[in-house]
This record gives sequence, structure tokens and C-alpha cells, in this order.
Amino acid sequence: MPTPVKMPQLGETVFEGTVARWLKQPGETVERQEPLLDITTDKIDTEVPAPAAGVLLKVLAAEGTTVQVGSVIAYIGDQGEEKDIPESYQEAGETLENAKGPEAVSPQPAATAPTDAAPAPRPEGRAFVSPVVARISAEHNIDLADVQGSGHQGRVTKQDLLAFIDARNRQPPAAHLASGAAADEDEILQPLSNMRRMIAEHMSRSVRASPHVVTIFEADMTAVVRHRAARKAALAQKGIGLSFTPYFVAAVAAALRDNPTVNSRWTDAGLMLSQRIHVGVAAAVPDGLVVPVIRDADELNLLGLARAVNDLAERARRGELSPDEVRGGTFTVTNHGTNGSLAGTPIINQPQAAILGVGKISKRAVVNSGAKTDGAPADPLLPSPDDSISIRPMCYLSLAFDHRILDGLAADTFLSDVVNRLQNWAA
Amino acid sequence: MASNYDYDLIVIGSGPGGYVAAIRAAQLNLKTALIEREHLGGVCLNWGCIPKKALIKSAEVLDTLQHAQDFGLTFDNLQVDYGAAVDRSLQIVNRQTKGVGFLMRKNNIDVIEGHARFTDAHTVQVGAGPLNPDGEPRGVTAASFVVATGARAKDLPGVEADGERILQYRHAIRLDEVPESLLVVGAGPIGMELSHIYATYGAQVTIVEMLDQALPLEDTDVAQEVERAFQKRGIKVLTSSRTEGFDIGERSVTVTVKNLNDGSDQKIEVEKALLAIGISPNTEDVGLDAAGAARNQEGYLEIDEYMRTSRKNIYAIGDCTGKMPLAHVASAQAIVAAEHAAGHAAAPIPAGRYIFMPRCTFCVPQVASLGMTEAQAEKAGYPVNVGKFPFMPNGSAQAQGVRGGFVKIIADQRYGEILGAHIVGPNATELLPELSLAQMMELTPTEIAHNVHAHPTLAEVVMEAAHGVEGQPIHM
Ligand SMILES: Cc1cc2nc3c(=O)[nH]c(=O)nc-3n(C[C@H](O)[C@H](O)[C@H](O)COP(=O)(O)OP(=O)(O)OC[C@H]3O[C@@H](n4cnc5c(N)ncnc54)[C@H](O)[C@@H]3O)c2cc1C
Repeated sequence: MPTPVKMPQLGETVFEGTVARWLKQPGETVERQEPLLDITTDKIDTEVPAPAAGVLLKVLAAEGTTVQVGSVIAYIGDQGEEKDIPESYQEAGETLENAKGPEAVSPQPAATAPTDAAPAPRPEGRAFVSPVVARISAEHNIDLADVQGSGHQGRVTKQDLLAFIDARNRQPPAAHLASGAAADEDEILQPLSNMRRMIAEHMSRSVRASPHVVTIFEADMTAVVRHRAARKAALAQKGIGLSFTPYFVAAVAAALRDNPTVNSRWTDAGLMLSQRIHVGVAAAVPDGLVVPVIRDADELNLLGLARAVNDLAERARRGELSPDEVRGGTFTVTNHGTNGSLAGTPIINQPQAAILGVGKISKRAVVNSGAKTDGAPADPLLPSPDDSISIRPMCYLSLAFDHRILDGLAADTFLSDVVNRLQNWAA
Repeated sequence: MASNYDYDLIVIGSGPGGYVAAIRAAQLNLKTALIEREHLGGVCLNWGCIPKKALIKSAEVLDTLQHAQDFGLTFDNLQVDYGAAVDRSLQIVNRQTKGVGFLMRKNNIDVIEGHARFTDAHTVQVGAGPLNPDGEPRGVTAASFVVATGARAKDLPGVEADGERILQYRHAIRLDEVPESLLVVGAGPIGMELSHIYATYGAQVTIVEMLDQALPLEDTDVAQEVERAFQKRGIKVLTSSRTEGFDIGERSVTVTVKNLNDGSDQKIEVEKALLAIGISPNTEDVGLDAAGAARNQEGYLEIDEYMRTSRKNIYAIGDCTGKMPLAHVASAQAIVAAEHAAGHAAAPIPAGRYIFMPRCTFCVPQVASLGMTEAQAEKAGYPVNVGKFPFMPNGSAQAQGVRGGFVKIIADQRYGEILGAHIVGPNATELLPELSLAQMMELTPTEIAHNVHAHPTLAEVVMEAAHGVEGQPIHM
């Protein structure tokens, strides 16, 4: 009997995976445990080994196809065993969700598809258009070929059409034209990596889902810089690099405990307040960006956080994170200051409520307001002979927040809490 | 294919949700087991739809015989034996549940007898149940689960359904004699259907409903039509009324009923009282907390459009999800859950879809509906066109001796979308599929009106109502 190859469960909370690349083609032989295909889930790429030795008889999920964990994606067996593949899989790809690979998944035409109702490519030219859809599309002047159908055999339903109209109304007109994939003569097409696609999808979705507002504070980092300078060398001896990031994570985790709505996500039923504090820390990797998550960050001390940050960042660079390590964050910190950026307006990592952008720490002139003039308390904003200038390591902190969840006051309260914790870092 | 687990999928409960899920899973090559603590087929086959439909048929025959004169037949000596009707219903139940057992064997599904309780998200302990009271608890594991534990009659606080004076549906569906008088608490489908059966067999029936109409989920026009027909048959329907107390005696029970409009009380003495105030989900003793599957305040399992609970390898379907407590809804959910668990492309059922699933009440006149009532459509802000056509002028209806009832179609004025369809009258439930298919495929009343209907049939009334949406019924 042929052995089915299934989409593996790559972590407790991972439910689907995308076939990135088949390393073997149908007809080729594979050894047991030999790498068979690459898959991507969320932001992680992994190799899947062959579950058995034999010939790759049939591939059911083409490259680019996303399927649920546990779905059969191929069969391995002895030469000539194709006929023993269970009948329901003979038709291959029609049974799999979101067949969106460039190559057709199945050699059979879609007309023989079994009982599925998942989005399938619409047969050209003779798709059923329901009267309701016809009337709405006529009124809104829409070419139904532009609309992705979710109904049986790709039928465009009223819901699909309304969603399309809604999206179109929200898009700036220029974006319409941008989708054209034909390169002009002085352009070169650089194909998208899976990570690029997923980042693109996530970012667009986030901007669509959450009304973003950004608030910016400034922190005097003297106490933190001093603290770090005092410990850095000793820790380096133990092999632990102490960057500034753990300080920001520590301040954020503590402030989240006091500001639970910032540690929540929006649902139509209400705010889902997370009882635990899992802080994601954005890390640049060669192809893009990943956000490994430090679980229960509020329960770690600075040393523990430094270890976690180093370990996750290192493994992120090497592409060795497990899918569960990039999921489940309740808040995200992105330290773009390490690239020299002074202040940024990051995009929220869905479904979280907010994201903190950390700017570059640099020495700046800070004006200290003189205490008083002539004994009478005057407005400290008025010029005073007691005003002085000092030079301090300063840092801009920007918080992008979901205005559905938080109002300016709540966001500012949280961010000033973070700032206070940094400025008053105990020696 | 199960690797670390005993099964790929275990289904808990064998009602129209559970057994259908098991079959679909087995068809998709999952190694499947079904756990049932009582009888295969669940409420639907043993206590609900099936025995009820059999009794309704007996009542229909009796009613026809009682009106035989209208059709030119006279005879005397009509012997009515309700016990025999119940026996017949139980024979049908027996055949149906055997059929489920056969389907399980045919699909290589292991049927495990006993009460299942989760100990973690991948393990259930199967303990003693009514079928094997001495069963030794044993653990069974699976990659995925479908919880289809159904529901039971909801208790009315302070009254116990003893099966003697106070009944719930399990008693009422298997009485061997017709009570002289019966008070039914609750005018939902179950209360209305059982009232219809017992009234046809001669019981003096009084229905008490707290809300201001019988069949509270139905369109007001429909409810009024049914109330009028019931009153005409001598069934008292007390709406906006609440039972305040049950005084249980030797031979009778005296029920205090408060009129919520004027605050007055009356005492009604009946032989038996039936509680039909809804259902409670069977979700307490299933170990759902250990499994990590969340329930809402009323105890129903929360599900997404693929029937997944908050614990993603555990699915829930049917009455224990509280979406719409009807057998065909449970079966539709079952197919989605099984296909999704098998990694197959499943057509999701989003929350907004349930309102368009067919609803049915098999009393006389029958009621079948889908979608919004006229009031709901207006409240939702739709400009509506309503087409309504009575059965009365229809030739087939007259031949069958039917006088009341109508078909009502509610459509969106702008695009013609069918927002609601309501039928009250003969064969209403069998006439609805044309409208549910039209609604699903987003046809408008225009297509229904253009569809030629055979003559003489009751279905012509559906066509006329569709014409009516456009303001032009033919036979009016
Ligand atoms: C009088 C009456 C008439 C009805 N008429 C109709 C009708 O005409 N049309 C219609 O569509 N619907 C009707 N219904 C509703 C219909 O019966 C239910 O919607 C349907 O049975 C729900 O199916 P289910 O699979 O969710 O659960 P159920 O049918 O309730 O089955 C659940 C099963 O799970 C078992 N079980 C529960 N817990 C456990 C456990 N822990 N371990 C093992 N087994 C367990 C139970 O023993 C039961 O057999 C009627 C109901 C009643 C009461």
C-alpha cells in the first residue's frame, strides 16, 4: 500500500502549512527520512522528511498550496502502486484548500472535482452568476472576473461581492493599478519569497483591521546606560551579551501588568485581556523579519530576558525557530534604533493591541528648567536664568496602538509608565 | 493511519450530529470510533423527530377519518387505540436505530458503549452508562474529537418531571394512554407538536406561553394563523402567561397561571402537565474543562465556522452548540467537522448562515420557515417587498380539504435577495426546499415565479407568493 505523506503538525498552535517547494518530483525515488519538501508555516520554513522509502507516486498539494495539518499531500510507494491510492485522493488537488500555486494542482480538469465547496478556480467563461450578484454587480459596475468566488466551484456569492466592493472603496485608487504584474522594459521582476508574501499579507491586513495611532515619548536613558555599563563586562565573561533590548522588554512587561488593556486583543464580543505577558521582539533575518516571542516575560529578570533575547535572535538568524516560538505574543517590541532610526511608526503585530518602537539612543542636549525666579513660582516654561543644558543619552519611544482598543490617554499612560521605569532604573 | 493515538477521530454521542460525523470521517479514511451511553440515534431517532413524526401520521389518519364525511364516506364504530399508535412509532424507532448500527458496521466504525469524559485534550475515559452499568472505565485516545452530546429537556425550577403528573418530552412521546386533559408549558415547536397530537386524540389541551405569541421564533403572521387554527380546534393558547405554581394531587395537577398583561391569576386543573420550555446542553459531565474546550454562560460549546471549539482538535456539533437545535443542522455541522478534521476542504458555516437553515414544526397547520421574519428584516434596515398568498384558492388545497394557511416571501427591494420565507399550511415542510435552494443560490422571487410548477399542486402557492413579491399574483 502507498504511504500517505501528511502535512505535519509543527507546533501545538499551528494548524496549517504551505508547501514551499518539492525537493523530489513524482517518479523519483526517496529514502526514508530523506528531505522531501520544504514547508512554511506562519513565518518559519522547515524541511519535511519522507515518512517511507519508495517512489514519490503522486503529489496532491502543489507548491504554494496551503493545507491543514494532517492533510494528505502526497503518496510514496512502490513503482506501479498508483492505482492503490485511495480513490478519494485520485483526483488530487481539487480536494485541497486554496489551490493557488502557479501550476495546476491536478492534471484533471476541475469539472470532475468531487464534493468540495472550497474556493476552486472558476471555470473560464461559464461560471454561474446568481441573479442577486448580477444585480449588485451591475449597479456597482463591477467585472465579476475580478472577484474571487468562495462558493461551489468558485461561484461568486453576494458576500464575496460585497467584500470586494468594500475593499475597493477602502483602497486608494492608485493601488488598483499597482497589481499589474507585467514588467516594463526597464523593470526586472524579483519573485516574492514566501516570507515576503506573508509579511505583505500580514502588514496589509493589520493596517486594514486596526485604526493605527502613534504616540511618541522621549526617555532619558542615563540610569539604564549606567546600569548596563556596570554589568556588561562581567556578563560577557559568562558568555552573555547584554544589549539594551532586555531593558525595554523588562520595562514593557512590567508596564503591561499595570495596564492590562494594552495586553489585549479586539474581538467583536469584547476585549480579550490576556492573563499572561508574552512579548515578541522583532528580529531582522536575511529575507525579512521574524518576531520570536518571550513567553511570560514578566516572570523573567533582566538576566533571564537577556538570555532569551540572545537565544531567540541567534536562532532566528539561523532559521531555527520552531513555529510555536513565533506565535502567541501579546505585545511586540521593535528596536529599529539599532539601524540608526530615531523614531518610527511601526505596524501592529495582529491581533495585538499595540507595538513599541525603540529609537536610537544618542546623546542629546536636554534643557533643565530653572526652578524659580525671585521666589515666586513662575511658569517653568518661561525663560529663567537658572535654566541649564545637560547632555544625556536620549531615546524616542513610539507606541503604535489600535484606537479601537485604546484611547490616547490610556496609550500615553502606558508609555509614560514605560519611560518612568527606564528613567528610574535602580542602580 | 493513527500514529500515537488509538483513533484518528472519536465522536461522542450518536445523534444525527454524531453518527453522521462518524460516517463522513470514515469515508475520508479516518480511523473512527463512536461513543454512546444510551441508544444509537440520539434524541432524534429515539425520543424526538422520528417517534413524533410517526405519531403525527397516526393523528393525521385519525383526523381524516373523523372528517371522512367531508370526503363522502360514513361509517360507525371507529376504534381509536393510541397505545397501538405508540407501538407503531416504537417499531419505526427500532428500525431506524438498527439502521444506524448497520451503517456503523458498514463503515468500520467502532461503537463504544458508555459515558465519555475527557481527561485531557486527546483522551477520554469511557465509564459506565445505562447500556453497560458495570462497565469498567477505560481510556481511549484520538488525534481529534467531535463532541455531539446533544441536549435534554430544560428543567422548570421548583417542579420535577416525575413522569406521572408532570411530564417532559421523553414521557410524553411514550404515554400509553391519552390524558383527559393536558397543560403544556411552552409554545415552541415541541410543545405545539405534542399539543396537536394529544388534542387530535381527544385531550383537552391548554398551552401556556410567556411571550406574546405561539412559536415565538416565527413570523407574527404565521404565529397568528397557527393560534387561530388551534383555538378553533378547541386548544386554548394562553400567550403572555406564566405558570406560577404546580399543586400536585392524586389524580390531577392544578396549575396557577398568571396573565402577564393584566396580572390576574387563574387555576387550571388538568390530568397532566408537560414541560416544553426548551433544552439544556449535555456539557457538564464531559470533562470539557480538562480538555480545554470553552463553553458560554448557558453551557453551550463555543464553535467557529469549521465547528472547532477553543481547543482546536476538538469539534462540537448539534444541540450542544446551541446554534439551532434541529437534527438537520446537527448533520450539516457534522459533515463540516468531519471533513475539516480529515484535512478535507470543508465548506464552512459562518454564524450568520444558521438563520437561513430550515425550521419546521409539524403540528397542524404545519409551519416551515427560513431566514428573517418581516419584523427582523425591517429592523435590520432592509427595504422589503413582501409576497403573501393563501392556500385557500389553490385547487389542490381545496381538493385536500384545506382551508387555512399561506406562503409568505420577504425579499430585499433593491436586489431581490430572499431574506425570509414562511409557510404555514399543508405540507409546509415539504414545500420549503425550493425556497431554501433559491435562497442559497441567491435566486430572486422572479426566478421562482418563472419556474413552471405542476398543476394542481400545493407548490403553485409558492409560485404565486413569488409573483406576489412583485405585486402581481395571478389567482388573486
Ligand atoms: C420531541 C422532539 C421532537 C423533535 N423534532 C424534531 C424535528 O422534527 N426535526 C428536527 O430537525 N429536530 C427535531 N428535534 C430536535 C432534534 O432531536 C435534535 O436537534 C437532535 O437530536 C440533535 O442531535 P445531536 O446529534 O446534537 O444530539 P442528540 O440527538 O441529543 O444525541 C446526543 C447523544 O449523545 C449521547 N451522549 C451525551 N453525552 C454523552 C457522553 N458523555 N458520552 C457518551 N454519549 C453521550 C446521548 O445519549 C445522545 O444519544 C426534536 C426534539 C424533540 C425532543
